[in-house]
Amino acid sequence: MILATPETGLVGVAVLLVLLLAGVRIGVALGLVGFGGLAVVLGFEPAVIKSGVVLMDTLTRYELGTLPLFLFMAHVFFAVDASKDLFNAAAKMLGHRRGGLAYASVAGCAGFGTINGSSLATAATIGLVALPEMRQRGYADTLATGSVAAGGTLGQMIPPSGALIVFGIIAEVSIGELFTAAIIPGITQALLYFVVIWLLVRLRPGLAPAGERAPWSERLRALARIWEVIVLICLVIGGIAMGWISPSEAAAVGAAIALAVAAVRRKLGVAMLYKACEETLRTSGMIYLIIIGALIFSVFIGVTGLAAAAGEAVTGLGLGTYGTLLLVAALLLLLGSVLDGLALMLLTTPILLPIVTATGMTPIWLGIFITRAMEIGFVHPPLGMNLYVIQGVAKDVPIGRVFRGVAPFLASDFLHLLMLIFVPAMVYWLPEVLR
Amino acid sequence: MLERVVIWIGGAALITATAIDTVAVIGRHVNLPLRGSIELMQPAVLVVGSCALIAAAIAGNHARIRLLIDRLGPPARRVVDRLSDLGTALFCLVLLTGSVWLALDLWSGHETSELLGVPWRVMRLFANVSLVAVLVVTFARAAGRKRP
Repeated sequence: MILATPETGLVGVAVLLVLLLAGVRIGVALGLVGFGGLAVVLGFEPAVIKSGVVLMDTLTRYELGTLPLFLFMAHVFFAVDASKDLFNAAAKMLGHRRGGLAYASVAGCAGFGTINGSSLATAATIGLVALPEMRQRGYADTLATGSVAAGGTLGQMIPPSGALIVFGIIAEVSIGELFTAAIIPGITQALLYFVVIWLLVRLRPGLAPAGERAPWSERLRALARIWEVIVLICLVIGGIAMGWISPSEAAAVGAAIALAVAAVRRKLGVAMLYKACEETLRTSGMIYLIIIGALIFSVFIGVTGLAAAAGEAVTGLGLGTYGTLLLVAALLLLLGSVLDGLALMLLTTPILLPIVTATGMTPIWLGIFITRAMEIGFVHPPLGMNLYVIQGVAKDVPIGRVFRGVAPFLASDFLHLLMLIFVPAMVYWLPEVLR
Repeated sequence: MLERVVIWIGGAALITATAIDTVAVIGRHVNLPLRGSIELMQPAVLVVGSCALIAAAIAGNHARIRLLIDRLGPPARRVVDRLSDLGTALFCLVLLTGSVWLALDLWSGHETSELLGVPWRVMRLFANVSLVAVLVVTFARAAGRKRP
């Protein structure tokens, strides 16, 4: 145990960063550094056995079943065109206002976020229906692409969220409480995007023309197409928030409802089912490998005492609660510029957890905060995955214009991050009330 | 062929897991609780997870940071990709060794779950066979063949 020192942990973190930037798969880099570190610190045999234990624990973990089941639900809903229905309903309700389709894109992303936990998937699917419609109606490319790219990040924050499930497993906190705590941050994030659109079209009316007002008969027809999704939102999010069902049960019930909706819409067939299972398994496999690697890595970090030492070092700076949290935010944004969202979460969670809890914040707050910082990485150069996804949909729009389009939304993201620091009740209030 | 089998087995487990927890929720609300639903979910979730690892390995879509490797020329990128595959195979080998080690240690113990007696050694066997499949797929990819 001579090498069980924070310095060893620091060397491990440095090696991990090198491996990640060298293109080693995220889960593999985390796992190999964790295993190698444990082998150096504890010996080969304990390291191998710990790796085997983590594997079986992860594969048989009931709570982790939430992830593939929510993914399955989302893929079944993809197949029944739920994204198109959600955008259409929002467009019928808001499309007549100046910038109405941009509001509808954000609302569609928020709605789709309730049946899907991925930023990229939300941006891609809503982008496919919203971008051609906005461009056809004469919206500026910057507003059209920016609103969908930013709106897509809501998929990660609004429950069910893949990132929050992973955080819950890694930090060993209640996934249900994380989901409940994410509701107000998710809603305020969407509202801030609405404010950005309102300001943009007010200052530069040429960005988006007003459309024709849809008659109420059309609006009601569009709303009738999404009643199943509304029922699902009430059952899944409401059920978890009220404590009627666990997140795993909510995921299973959600998947069952999705299959029933597909059957009612006559889209449930062997080919559709195969496609949904294929996509679910591929994505789940990727995330499982990352979780297994991250758990081994966090055991290594725990053994070296790096997290505790980092906590003491930051406390020793005497920055106070807000200073420490602003430092954490700066670190997350800096690392988020070069690391993929999940890598950022899994690398920083074991180290930041003691630092953040020492300021009086809870692990639940950290989960929401890291997820928010991850989302910013999705629309933030140089990585900005959502921006490339949007450019893939609107191929003739240069990436520079997409970056310019998302800039005002990015400013609102930074403001939202500050709001989470200075008004933590946004995270704490709802779980407290519903407890 | 392997991919189709894996997707169907994993898909069947997904639908089984969906059914178990849905029935458990309904049962709880109509006073007909499903006994040991979590113990039933564990093997279903294990099969989903194991098949998911194989499916992801076959598709080769494990998450990577491409910030630097996308700037490399094709020959250098091929080398980096192959090293990444070998790293993945090495990690799978570590996991397999640890998991087989545990399975052998506990084989004669006939571990079962508390309420329903679900045999854990069968679950461990399934996980280990799946890891062997992931290892084969990853080595085949590193050796230059895309699919086994």
